[in-house]
Amino acid sequence: MLYVQILINGILLGGLYACIAVGFSLVWGVLNVINILHGSFIVLGAYLAFFAYTQLGIHPYLFAPIAALVLFMLGYVVQLAIINRVLEAPVLVTMTTTFGLALLLDNLMLVVFQANFRKVSLKPSLGIIDFSDTFPALDLIVPVDRLASMLFALLFVGLLYWLLRHTVVGRAIVAVRMDRYAAMLMGVDTIKVFAVTFALGAALAGAAGALLSPIFPISPLAGTTYLGKAFVICVLGGLGSVSGALVGGLALGILESFGALFFGPEHSLTLSFTVLILLLIFRPNGIMGKRGFV
Amino acid sequence: MGFMNFRLGHLLAGLGSVAALIAAFSAAGAAELPIRIGAPLPLTGALSPEGVKLQQGYELWKEAVNAAGGISVGAVKRPIEIVYYDYQSVTPKAVQLAEKLATDDKVDFMFSPFGSGASKAASTVSERYGIPTLAPTASSSEVYDQGYKNLFGTFTANDTLSEPMADIVKAKAPNVKRVAILARNDLYPLALGQEFERSSKKRGLEVVYFEKYAINTLDHASALTEIKAAKPDWIIATGYINDMILIRKQMADLGIKAQIVTMINAPAYQEFIDATGPLADNVTSATWWHPAVRYVSKDVFGSSVKYTEMFEKKYKVLPDFTNATGSSVGVVLQLSIERAGSIDRDKVREALVTGGFETFFGPISFNKAGQAVSYVPPVFQIQKGKPVVIYPDVIKGGDMALGVR
Repeated sequence: MLYVQILINGILLGGLYACIAVGFSLVWGVLNVINILHGSFIVLGAYLAFFAYTQLGIHPYLFAPIAALVLFMLGYVVQLAIINRVLEAPVLVTMTTTFGLALLLDNLMLVVFQANFRKVSLKPSLGIIDFSDTFPALDLIVPVDRLASMLFALLFVGLLYWLLRHTVVGRAIVAVRMDRYAAMLMGVDTIKVFAVTFALGAALAGAAGALLSPIFPISPLAGTTYLGKAFVICVLGGLGSVSGALVGGLALGILESFGALFFGPEHSLTLSFTVLILLLIFRPNGIMGKRGFV
Repeated sequence: MGFMNFRLGHLLAGLGSVAALIAAFSAAGAAELPIRIGAPLPLTGALSPEGVKLQQGYELWKEAVNAAGGISVGAVKRPIEIVYYDYQSVTPKAVQLAEKLATDDKVDFMFSPFGSGASKAASTVSERYGIPTLAPTASSSEVYDQGYKNLFGTFTANDTLSEPMADIVKAKAPNVKRVAILARNDLYPLALGQEFERSSKKRGLEVVYFEKYAINTLDHASALTEIKAAKPDWIIATGYINDMILIRKQMADLGIKAQIVTMINAPAYQEFIDATGPLADNVTSATWWHPAVRYVSKDVFGSSVKYTEMFEKKYKVLPDFTNATGSSVGVVLQLSIERAGSIDRDKVREALVTGGFETFFGPISFNKAGQAVSYVPPVFQIQKGKPVVIYPDVIKGGDMALGVR
């Protein structure tokens, strides 16, 4: 029963991880930009959700689309005004640019929101589903807020998948991801596509932040932790695809959970990074890695 | 003649006023020459909440002293000047800045950077230059084991937090037999976790789980699932506020119940109560100082109660132990300078070694290594969203309630 519970923990955590990583993966895959800002965007989304809940009483799950919209606009502006100027430069330059922007945003949040740790404490709390209440032999527990956050996150990921498959903008993004210059020749406005893609990445970060706000403590400098996870998930699952982020996220969540059980909580990260290195050696494109998006 | 007289009179009056002015200036000069204290602080970066709290404590003390004219050094009163540097939560930078304070700024005394690790690292600098240094937040006894003569800390050792807590559990909850400990793999939290293990075993309690978790852990579900399976009566978690918020939340996520849950350090901060809401109820903790303590003191504040009032007036919030310890090092330095009657470092060091300072933070005397050994840190419990002191008896505001769900 212990193993089943650990598996449940791992899947729930993995779903949240997927939601952290999917926007990061999209931007990396399509723009070839390693967006260091992504973690800070998640934190910003979480702060917006925190204040929406404590000041206006808007539930974080309802607020997630609003956070996505706000971050979409911010992302669009940031891409057009700044990142677009260095897009053709080597990957190190774009990475340094987003790193600088992340420092700026982190410290801005430090000044505006202060360094105190906060968390959305839902009233009433959503509670837990305790299977042993109905089946005494089944000693399993599912926390409802984690489950809900994961389901909403999957909804957003599904929405992205649909968008990429069935809309003109989505098809253009996929075309640019496959071959930027061929897409340009076909009349795709790549500058606009890049801006929309970056904005979508930011929107997903904003939604993720809102969905995570009842689960993880919020602080201005938490972004780096999320970013680190997103990095690992992308390499694990394969770059630039929705399914890759999903599989990578779940794989990391489950790996960390069982790693903590077998090797102790101080070594759960060691295990996931060992797997990461092995994967880089034997399957460098990741579990789901292939060319082309979706 | 009359004209001459007039000129002479003016001249004399002029000379007289110049002399008076010079006298006034030199007297003011002697009185106003400040005592300079160097304070490297983590004002930005991961430790910035703590850095800011410490600075608030220093500033309150400084303002109180300067409002009273300064520190009495023999016959004169000298004001205080604190030279701050932000070491950005990077320990090596704290050491560099301590070096700069010693050589460049030539400060008279120093306050240590935040936490056990950085305090130990920077203590080498004060030792090299022979600068008496007060550590506000270094509790691990390993900080004081280098035989240094210039380091004095106002936090008692980690076991002074675990021992009283274990005593209370033994006395008030005789049914508690099984203990689970989850400690952050970091100098102070791990040392504290080990003290709790020792204190539990000493009293015949069975430690059924002891694990460390890595810094920056984002998920404790596996560890907590194992803890749940071990069926402990008493769960102890050590770490910093973000860890404790997450662990408390995930305990609830997994439906973990225990008679007693002890978390150190977070519950001493209002943020913990705000962030965990009703989950904070009945969580116990221990800390070196609490606004509920009742010490009467011979320092610039007069008593713990008056200290709390002054702090609240200035910052509009209740002081916590980090704020208070920031003020405590100031108060101890002041009392030792006043006793020495000089800012001669050797004499002040001698006064510090002698100890016996009655402060709002508690009676302060140091052991041979330089760590405070003279007061009992209070144990408290969050009850209905408010911290209530449950030990020691002289200052307690209520009894320990059992049951955390």
